[in-house]
Amino acid sequence: MRFPESMRAIACLAAFAAGASFAAAEASRAEIAARLAQQLADVPATNFPLGAAAFDEELRARVEAGSAAAAPVLEAGKKVWERKFRNGRSLAACFPNGGRRVAATYPQYDPRLKRVITLEMAVNQCLKTHKEPLLEHGDPQGMGSVTAYVRSLANGQKVAVRVPAAADERFEQGKRLYFTRRGQRNFACASCHLQGAGKRYLDTPLSPAIGQATHFPVIRGGVALTLHGRMRQCLELMGAAPFAAGSEELNDLEFFLTYLSNGLRVLPAPWRPG
Amino acid sequence: MRFFRSALAALAADIALAASAQAPSPPEAFLRADKGHCIACHQLPQGHGPVSRADLGTKLEGTRMRAIGREGLRQAIADPPRVNADTLMPPFGRHRILESWEIETLVDYLHALP
Repeated sequence: MRFPESMRAIACLAAFAAGASFAAAEASRAEIAARLAQQLADVPATNFPLGAAAFDEELRARVEAGSAAAAPVLEAGKKVWERKFRNGRSLAACFPNGGRRVAATYPQYDPRLKRVITLEMAVNQCLKTHKEPLLEHGDPQGMGSVTAYVRSLANGQKVAVRVPAAADERFEQGKRLYFTRRGQRNFACASCHLQGAGKRYLDTPLSPAIGQATHFPVIRGGVALTLHGRMRQCLELMGAAPFAAGSEELNDLEFFLTYLSNGLRVLPAPWRPG
Repeated sequence: MRFFRSALAALAADIALAASAQAPSPPEAFLRADKGHCIACHQLPQGHGPVSRADLGTKLEGTRMRAIGREGLRQAIADPPRVNADTLMPPFGRHRILESWEIETLVDYLHALP
């Protein structure tokens, strides 16, 4: 009988550790949510997924008017998603429910690999398993359109990213990256998207940290710009050498950033100017 | 009559010169994205440069600029985190985004704003 008791103790410890980790991630999210609620008292958090358009009626109208631009991108993504591999399988067959309602749960922590797995990585894992050519992580035409399509299958689902105890370090690393000033301009992600959220840089309001991960990839210039692609653009604007799309740094950053949007609805493939 | 006309023209030229002296155009470093790009965050007084809705930084008003003073402006551009650790403004001098002479041009320009 001693064995089950010790097992119970281990299970209790594991549950406690998981709870502690969840609590830490949730405390970070709550702190940021409270700060944004105070700073942006006129804008309800449910509008944060609109990004810059949440602060600019004219931009919001343009985004709505531009929504048709997503159709050809999603159509191209659907073709890749449903295309039969040489072995008869497909990307759709690699995911539960053919990919419906799964995108809202990414990124996920893989305890076996001890890594954060983004939707893009999951797509490439499937391709690799079936000996198909991989898609370039930051490529708007291939990876961008296919992930835009999969996220459209989760339209309106609430973002539900889990941070288990083992993923605590990855979450904290993502948070550190978000708050670390870098580059010639000495900006952190948080400089613009927390401290400056809702204020205008040039003519465009800066989107708040919460809500950003709900709407990527966005449709810009007729192609699907992934979250990693956008982060790389930001890093360049900061005068920093951008981390590679699919790098551990950007994966951790995405993990942290997407957790912040937990509970908000996925808003797939919105149009963006420029 | 000819004398009157040329006096009037000279007066008009003087007025134009005075106006342009009061409101010089923004220097390149103020506008260029790879330099100060001040216009990305700050607004100029109405009618004295490009119109912008940017408000990440404070409005640039001559009275406040002169209250800060030339040395204060120089420091605020060259290494703003030294003055305020929470500032969003890049350390233009310390990170060599701007040369000393470009900072001086900006100090002169800001100091002369209406």
